[in-house]
Parts: sequence; structure tokens; C-alpha cells
Amino acid sequence: MEQWNNELEELFAQYKSIVPDPDASPSFMPELWKKIESRQSMVVRIRRLTQVFVAAAAAICVVLVLFLGVPSSDNFGVSGTYVDVLAEIHPAENLTPLGIRTDNE
Amino acid sequence: MLVEFELIQKAQAGDDAAFNQVVLAYRKRILGTIARLIGRSEDVEDVGQEVFLRLYYSLDQLRTPEVFEPWLYRLTVNASYDYLRKQRRRNEARMSDLSEQQVMMADAAAGGKVSTEQDRRNNVKELVESLLSEIPEQDRILLTLKEVEGLSLKELENIYRVKENALKVRLFRARQRVLSAYQALGRKTGKQVVGSVK
Repeated sequence: MEQWNNELEELFAQYKSIVPDPDASPSFMPELWKKIESRQSMVVRIRRLTQVFVAAAAAICVVLVLFLGVPSSDNFGVSGTYVDVLAEIHPAENLTPLGIRTDNE
Repeated sequence: MLVEFELIQKAQAGDDAAFNQVVLAYRKRILGTIARLIGRSEDVEDVGQEVFLRLYYSLDQLRTPEVFEPWLYRLTVNASYDYLRKQRRRNEARMSDLSEQQVMMADAAAGGKVSTEQDRRNNVKELVESLLSEIPEQDRILLTLKEVEGLSLKELENIYRVKENALKVRLFRARQRVLSAYQALGRKTGKQVVGSVK
């Protein structure tokens, strides 16, 4: 077992000398900077797209707030609950001829 | 450290000339490590550029220049791992007749069919790479960093941010698997593979 271990260690040591640190080609640095710049332009594009998206979302929010915030003409002046409104429209005295009894009676 | 802390700080601050100098200082060492981690010389520069590209975009996250080297090694390990993972499918196809290949390489490395020094070196290289392909990519990288690159457990601890004991267990298991493959190969060929490689 010890012998196998030693052999394996030796094999690994030889591997390091067989595969030395290679010299980079002359195009290494220009290609690296090309990749950095293309990634940079992609990041800028994504950032711009995100800004447009955020601005559009904010505009939609403002429009929705304005739309929901301004009361429509249909319910203008209406206050109280649905039951209160019904009671106002149909006073108790109008219901008696229809055979509907109210609590007040 | 191959560069001054000030240079790293300048690169962190966005100085491209300083970044260039950092790359030039570490390029050869990193390319060598990648070459031994991935075992495919034709793709070494691509992976190396990926490492420095990641460095460029993550340099601002580096808190102290003192941990620059483990940081750079971590990027190297990650880029190499990504590369090996992408290559897995191709490797799996090669694995189908791997044991036969291994026997031939071991035999050749032992001197039987070797004609030149270069052939013998190629055979040793292929033999080590095929033995390392017996274990998962992550273990292959870890074992190569320890056994071939000669990094200490402390350095590996800084790179992997894992406790020493966990690393020891992983290394032991990976080494045992490689050792078993190597023993099996030795029994098949009936020769000492390394003995005649010296």
C-alpha cells in the first residue's frame, strides 16, 4: 500500500513538471479587454433597460393612483354604508304598502 | 504576493493600468494552474480570460488586499470547475472505453511502447488525467491543488472557506479513489507504472 502511495505521489510530481506554466499568447490581453468591454456594454444595456422598466412602472403607478384617487361622478356625494344608502332611497313609509315591515314599526 | 497591495487597491479603485499589471503578474501562474486542473491545453487561455474577467468585475468586493491570492485561486477553481462541468458530456463519451485506454497509457508510460521522451511524457500526462477523471470534478480540482500544485491545507481552507477537517476527509476519499484506480491499472499491466518514468 505504501508503495502505491509513493508511486502516486511521484506520478503527481512528474505531472507538474510535464505540464509547466504556459506562456500566454500575444492575443491574451487584447482578447481579455475585448471581453471586459463587451461585458461592460451588456451591463450598461441591462442597466438602461432596467431604468426604462422602472420609469414605466412608476408612471403606471402614478396613473393608477390618479385614476383610483379621483372619485367617479357615479358615487359622487355618497357617504355611509350600502344599507344606509338603501334606507335613504327607500324610506320605511314607502315599504309598508308593499307589505314589507320594518323594525321601527 | 507577486504585486504590491497598493497596486491591487488602485485596480479596485478602477485604474485599468493597475489591473493590467496585476493580470500580467499572475497570468503565467494562473494559466499553469488551469492547465493542470482542466488538462486541455487548447482551452487554457479561454478559462484564464474568464478568471481575470471575473476578477475585474468582482474586485470591488474584495475587502482586504491581503486575501487577494486566495480570492484569485477561488475564481480559478470556480472557472475551472464550470469548464469541467461543461465538458462532462464529452468526457462521459470518452469514459466508455477509458479502461482500455488507461491500460494502453500505463503500459506505454511504463516504457513498453514508448519511442521518445516526448511520447513518454505525453503518456504520463494522459495517465494522470485519466486517473483524475475517475473522481468528480470538485474532488479532482481539490486533489490537484493539494497534490500537484502543492497548496497547504491552510491555503485550501482560505480558498474553499471550509474547515480543515472537512477538507481532509474530502481529500482522503478522493485520493483513495484515485489510488484504487491506479492499483487496478498496475495489476492489469503487471508493471510499476512510475518506476520507469523517472
